[in-house]
Amino acid sequence: MTLTVPGRTPHQDDPGARSKPRRGTAPRRARRGTDRKPRLAIAVTAVFFALLYLPIGVVVLFSFNSQKSLTVFKDFSLRWYGAFLRDDTLLQSLDMSLRVSLVAMAGSLILGVTLALGLVRSRSRLGSLAGLIMLIPLITPEIVTGVAAMLLFKGMGITLSTTTVMLAEITFSISYVTVVLRSRIAALNPETEEAAMDLGATRWQALRLVTLPALLPSILASAVLIFALVFDDFVLAYFTTGVDPQPLSVRIYSAIRFGVQPTINAVGTLMLAGSIALIVLALFIPRLFGRRGGLDLLSGK
Amino acid sequence: MATHTTPDPRTGSTPPSGPAKPRRGPSAKANRTWTWLMLPGTLWMAAFLLASLVLVATLALGTTDPLGNPRFGFNLDNITALGDPAYRSVMLRSLGYALLTVVICLAVAYPVAYAIALHGGRFKNFLIAAIVVPFFANYLVRMYGWSVVLSDDGPLLKALRSIGIADGDTRILQTGPGVIAGLVYGFVVFMIIPLYAALERMDVSLIEAGRDLYGGPLRTFFHVTLPATRQGAAAGCVLVFLPAMGDFVSAQLMGGPDQIMIGNLIQDKFFQGQNWPLGSALTMLMMAVLFLGMLGYLRRTRKDEKDEAEAAQ
Repeated sequence: MTLTVPGRTPHQDDPGARSKPRRGTAPRRARRGTDRKPRLAIAVTAVFFALLYLPIGVVVLFSFNSQKSLTVFKDFSLRWYGAFLRDDTLLQSLDMSLRVSLVAMAGSLILGVTLALGLVRSRSRLGSLAGLIMLIPLITPEIVTGVAAMLLFKGMGITLSTTTVMLAEITFSISYVTVVLRSRIAALNPETEEAAMDLGATRWQALRLVTLPALLPSILASAVLIFALVFDDFVLAYFTTGVDPQPLSVRIYSAIRFGVQPTINAVGTLMLAGSIALIVLALFIPRLFGRRGGLDLLSGK
Repeated sequence: MATHTTPDPRTGSTPPSGPAKPRRGPSAKANRTWTWLMLPGTLWMAAFLLASLVLVATLALGTTDPLGNPRFGFNLDNITALGDPAYRSVMLRSLGYALLTVVICLAVAYPVAYAIALHGGRFKNFLIAAIVVPFFANYLVRMYGWSVVLSDDGPLLKALRSIGIADGDTRILQTGPGVIAGLVYGFVVFMIIPLYAALERMDVSLIEAGRDLYGGPLRTFFHVTLPATRQGAAAGCVLVFLPAMGDFVSAQLMGGPDQIMIGNLIQDKFFQGQNWPLGSALTMLMMAVLFLGMLGYLRRTRKDEKDEAEAAQ
């Protein structure tokens, strides 16, 4: 993504001297009369933002309500947070979700980074096959992968448990890691690696000392995102979890199906805060490394 | 490339004497290393993903024994059972809800993406982040919050009543529109991101040209902006349609028993009904519908690419 520097470019009224009119990077500033504000679009956007944040605001607000009601806010209280901390089932679920996310993060990173490296660098026919398989989770509704994973485990006689959730989540996350890292690896200059090898490094040393450090920001950012995604995942976890303990989102699901549960507002608020913190962290990691090349979440590529 | 004796400026080394092999491009040995590296991930995906999907497809042709346990076999009972009017109506409803969701998402996402991409100024990145970030928050918590907002004495209906749009009997929850509202809230971001990317990439001078030629805003939009961003819109439609078809949370939280979608049926066959072969058949039916949708999308984009190639000549 090329950043357009805001502000004036010299000779902006002289079309001949304008900065290169490349596609998509042409300076976009209001020009005489042609660039009217689209009032309708701006109004829709305002309403959209209101409706986008209203549900989140409601959950957060009523998590601090002293009453059980979800319509009338009485006084500020931490009652429901206390209720959450005393609820052993929910705490067990929290613990399980954390463990699943950590294992899925580690597993999918190991498998995903190696797969992405191989996909970009190898010229073998296995590559196109692997590239196709990898796309399946992205073009399949989660309920299908969930049902399929459940059948696989049951078919092999494996009792559904924390382990099966971990296995399923790793499978799903590999695609994500690979898709994100593939473009990054393709953008690397392979000659730095070759230079290292010419200086006496083995292929593995070159990989470890040159390529992986260059990929580190992207790897860290996708690690954080995988953690957040797996922690929040519901559908896959729902189909692959055993009876006890169950991941936090599965617990939330059974709770909200049976009427008002203010404790869920407190848990939900904590989860919202956690995910938002993680995604913001993931977006900022590349900047911490002082270079571009993080996740192009925002440009949609 | 054949025999250079001067040091290669890029590698700084002199190729060994004798018949010099081309230095560029991965050697067979390197290629083998990279292929080995690819193996664990590929095998994992093949074992857990491909195998499991094949299992669903196979079980769709299976039966259940008198105790209700799934049995592999080859019969078409589950497939013919899908013709049952009850299933057909659920299938049609799912298709209708998912398509309506796509249309509404398009209608919402275009103005939002347009306003941000072309008039967001220096807040552009911030505004898009403000849309994307909540979508990474827990899906269930967001849906639950949305169901509270849409509830009978929730803030939305209260507001609509106070300005006279709704009366005391108007409900959103437990209705079809409620389910669609849930699906739109759940997946609209998948429409906004590709559209935003397409609008960002678009040459704005085209819009200005349209206006210079005295095209009204709507005319300019339909003749210039829309065609230029068609591929982004098509990608968004697929990205929304896929999860909307498979969702079962929205119909459960926002709809009543009359609003169930195919996802709810599948869930029911695997958990309550315990008829896995039938559940598998329903899953395959859903995949078939989605596959047709994807095919249409691929044909469309291929045609677009061809048109573009021709236009470039």
